[in-house]
Amino acid sequence: MTGKEGLIEGIITIGRSMPILLRGIAINIELLFALLAVGLLVGTVVALLQVYGGRVLGTIAAAYAWVFRGIPAMVLLFLFYFGPSQFGLDVPPFLAATLALGFRSSAYQSQIFRGALQAIPHEQMMAARSLGMSRVRAIVSIIIPQALRLSLAGWSNEFSSVAKDTTLAYVVGLNEVLRQARIIQDRHYDLAMLAYIAVALLFLILTYSGNFGLGALERRLRIPGLGVHERGG
Amino acid sequence: MRKGLIGLIVLGFAVLVIGGVVAAQETYVVASDIPWAPFEMVTANGQFFGFDLDVMRCIAIVEGFDIDIKNIAFDSIIPTVESGKADIGASGFTITAERAKSIDFSQPYYLSNQAVVIRKGSGLNIVSALAGKGPTQSVGAQNGTTGFGWAEENAIGVTVKGYEFYPTAILDLVNGRIDAVIQDEPASQSSLAAYPDKLEIAGIINTNEYFGFLVAKGDPNGLLPKINDGLAKLGLSVIDPAGGMKELVVTPGSVWDNLLKAYFGPTNDEIEAAWLASKDLLLVDKDVEGFAAKLAQEVSK
Repeated sequence: MTGKEGLIEGIITIGRSMPILLRGIAINIELLFALLAVGLLVGTVVALLQVYGGRVLGTIAAAYAWVFRGIPAMVLLFLFYFGPSQFGLDVPPFLAATLALGFRSSAYQSQIFRGALQAIPHEQMMAARSLGMSRVRAIVSIIIPQALRLSLAGWSNEFSSVAKDTTLAYVVGLNEVLRQARIIQDRHYDLAMLAYIAVALLFLILTYSGNFGLGALERRLRIPGLGVHERGG
Repeated sequence: MRKGLIGLIVLGFAVLVIGGVVAAQETYVVASDIPWAPFEMVTANGQFFGFDLDVMRCIAIVEGFDIDIKNIAFDSIIPTVESGKADIGASGFTITAERAKSIDFSQPYYLSNQAVVIRKGSGLNIVSALAGKGPTQSVGAQNGTTGFGWAEENAIGVTVKGYEFYPTAILDLVNGRIDAVIQDEPASQSSLAAYPDKLEIAGIINTNEYFGFLVAKGDPNGLLPKINDGLAKLGLSVIDPAGGMKELVVTPGSVWDNLLKAYFGPTNDEIEAAWLASKDLLLVDKDVEGFAAKLAQEVSK
């Protein structure tokens, strides 16, 4: 690739190779939504246990968060994919990646949600109890709705973070976008840079859309004048 | 009219019988790290081809089984086969005693040596580049390959940088971050075609490595006899003199002969064009002989 014409020619070649990259990013997106769903579900339960679960359950939840936040994502992928086959259990690559990255994300999400739960003033619980609500009822109707709203800002961070983690899934045999970029690179050695720029743009679009959606959700769910998240209010 | 009817009935039976036979065939998963030209390649539309993959397809046809090719990172192939998630590894694997501890190899099918690629005009040669006399005192190779292992063991006084993917090593060489890249000769030829003005082969290290296909330890599916028999049917025989070096003998005019001619020598673009023109013979008609002959004929056009 030399000079301006070479660059334009290169961009055209990358444009023609877009189907190769799009096939890859589709896998990243599928994996992203699957792992976020697992992470949200498990993460919420872990956070509730850690805050309200008492000593034993709280400790177990904290240990879970410690383990899954402490192990590198790549190692988790290997363990979830190759581990079960030692016992004759065949886990397909997509499921293994969803569970490995999903549990990891749940550990992070649990801490986002735990922070939000603990940010709700204790007086609210006391007020709810004094009105005759049970503890569980107060948690479900008073605390959780506010905490979920509070978590949204943290989630948009988690979204961007795990979106990029999906590129690690190639180690279990998923041909995600970075691995697809190698096909372009092998066909056109001199276009390596452009291929990676194209991947970068795809991720910028993906994370922008995600954060835009979460931001819109945050605005939509905002209750004016209520809640601790009102800035300067 | 009557003839037509009989023909139709015969055809119908033929379809049923062939259908039954096809349906009864086992499908084995072949793991390969794609791309690694000319052994593993991809067309612009994402179809897999390359020497290893076409050889596996040919063996499957002559031995009567089906294959499903999965694109898997090189470092993950052996664990994938070991865990039974794939049945065969076909990815330019050098037969080594170390690897043979965890998996079983087929007969050797290719003799490869390591090429040392340098920048043109760098004033280096194969000895000085590997002795760290270049400006960066470092050489590159792909992680997990025998070229990398060779460099770690033998290139004293030079830093060996490991790369996840061979073309990135070539990119670093072109950009002057390393002085040489060590890689199997056929793959080196293919990278030279990309930078004919900038790169050259300084020399070949005669490592005498044999490539083999691999299966899980103990060959649980009984695939090795089929692969070895398939290699022989395609025209490759191995002479194994006691105490001497194994010799790969190719029958002239055989499928193997034609595949070698098609894949080793022409540029990647020429190979791809020839493959696209001949692929139906292999994938649809399952005509191994016809495919190899056409492929060799197309690249020489």
